Amino acid sequence: MLRWHLTSMRLVVPVMVVVQILIAAGFSVGMSLFFEEVPPRAALFLGTGAGVINLILVGLIVSPQLVAAEKEAGTYDFTWSLPVPRSASVVAWVILSSIVSIPAMLAALVVAWLRFDLGLSVSLAVIPAVGLVVVCGTMIGYAIAQAIERPSITQLLSQVLAFGVLGFTPITFPLENLPTWLASVHQVLPFYHMGVVVRAGLTDGLVSDVSRSYLILSAWTLVAGLVTALVLGRRK
Amino acid sequence: MTDWTFRADRVTKTYDGGKTYANRDVSITVGPGEVYGLLGPNGAGKSTLVKQVIGLLKPTSGSITLGDHDLVADPNAARQLCSYLPQAPMPIESFKVHEAVRLTGEIRGGHRPAIEKRAKELIEALQISEWNDTLGTKLSGGVRRLVGFIMVTVVPGQVVILDEPTNDVDPLRRRLLWEQVRLLGEMGAAVFLVTHNVLEAEKSVDRLAVIANGEILAEGTPSSFKVADRGKLRLQLMLAPGLPTPELPPLVLQHSRVGNVLMSVIEEDRAGDGISWAQRMLSDGVAEEYALGATTLEDAYIRLTGDVPEAAVRVES
Repeated sequence: MLRWHLTSMRLVVPVMVVVQILIAAGFSVGMSLFFEEVPPRAALFLGTGAGVINLILVGLIVSPQLVAAEKEAGTYDFTWSLPVPRSASVVAWVILSSIVSIPAMLAALVVAWLRFDLGLSVSLAVIPAVGLVVVCGTMIGYAIAQAIERPSITQLLSQVLAFGVLGFTPITFPLENLPTWLASVHQVLPFYHMGVVVRAGLTDGLVSDVSRSYLILSAWTLVAGLVTALVLGRRK
Repeated sequence: MTDWTFRADRVTKTYDGGKTYANRDVSITVGPGEVYGLLGPNGAGKSTLVKQVIGLLKPTSGSITLGDHDLVADPNAARQLCSYLPQAPMPIESFKVHEAVRLTGEIRGGHRPAIEKRAKELIEALQISEWNDTLGTKLSGGVRRLVGFIMVTVVPGQVVILDEPTNDVDPLRRRLLWEQVRLLGEMGAAVFLVTHNVLEAEKSVDRLAVIANGEILAEGTPSSFKVADRGKLRLQLMLAPGLPTPELPPLVLQHSRVGNVLMSVIEEDRAGDGISWAQRMLSDGVAEEYALGATTLEDAYIRLTGDVPEAAVRVES
């Protein structure tokens, strides 16, 4: 089934990978244009965060858009009628998201590292961190795409999320920068925590309370998984 | 010996809390090896019915079984046992033809060598070998449809559902496709065929049902449908373009016009008068051609549904 999804995306994936890399690298560099000299702490947040934004964008926005587009074209019926367990599709999407977003994340990191001369201390913890972020983001995105009946609404929601994530999420900057109420909201939402766990694997001493973030992300993944399971079994 | 009879029993599908009936009390039985046609105008509920069989939709009431399997309670079994060619185009833009076929065959649980062999047979039988390596985006609508057919039948299910399989397909290959449909039946699958191409279906189905407004109007073999038309003949006139329908003599029992083709039904023993009238139309310049032949399933279909199928624009020779 993975081969099916990968092949069906074959023409689109290379473009998507390149676009994501450009977005990530551009984000890193672009942010620096805001300041004459970027303070090192901010640079560190930026550099480690830009890549996470990509991971989220792909899982949360690109995948649902693709699913919605197929539903709109009416071509989803055939894929849906194939005798594969529904879970196989989810796995395929997660892997696809990883393929598209991880190169971009690396690119963002490398560009930021070169541009800002970041003091990174990479640990192996970054691997499960990235893994969890991709899975969590994809599951949430997939749940949204499958749960919402009308493809146009899914696409609209994705755009709104993209805007929200890019602009107002404390991933590329510390949580303290936000007004208190918004900070509390983000303690519950998964995005801030995605930034935390990845940053923990890339830096030393910059973030705290990492295990709590892992917990919250796992909880979100589980919820998304449950919603997906419920929705996939449903017929109109 | 497992019983592989397909039974839809009083299947009803409503929307809007019971206000709209897409299917109403539809009951159909198809035995293994039978090719069963579902004929009806657009919006009759044909696609809705087959979607409930494959598990894309759920019936409001009624049951759908295949042998011992309850397809409504177990949609996984439905997908495993039935293969489905939807009306919409296949999502194979990025696939080469042989890739799409092979992958679908494997997903359906077939073994590589058997799949390769059958895929080759089907591709050659439908004469699309020249596109074997072509990407989906570059295929014409008709070839894509044929590829879809092969994808669905390379490892056929116990029930093969074909929703408008000949859409966009050229006349020669359409005929080849109908041959393959017949062969599927001979292989033992129960073939469920949804089409509005009445004439072609007539030659390849064992039994058919005419459905309109969600209900089955009539069911039986193609011959049984034409019983009511026994003793009648079909007289077809190809009118000169732009002319209004001429006044019809009383010997015409019923008529319909599609474009410039005027189809009329007359009594068998008035054949001579019918021909005279047609010849008069020709010499008057009202018509350009005429043809006299046996009544077809289409006439019965029109009588039942009041719907004139688009395919009814040929003068039989």
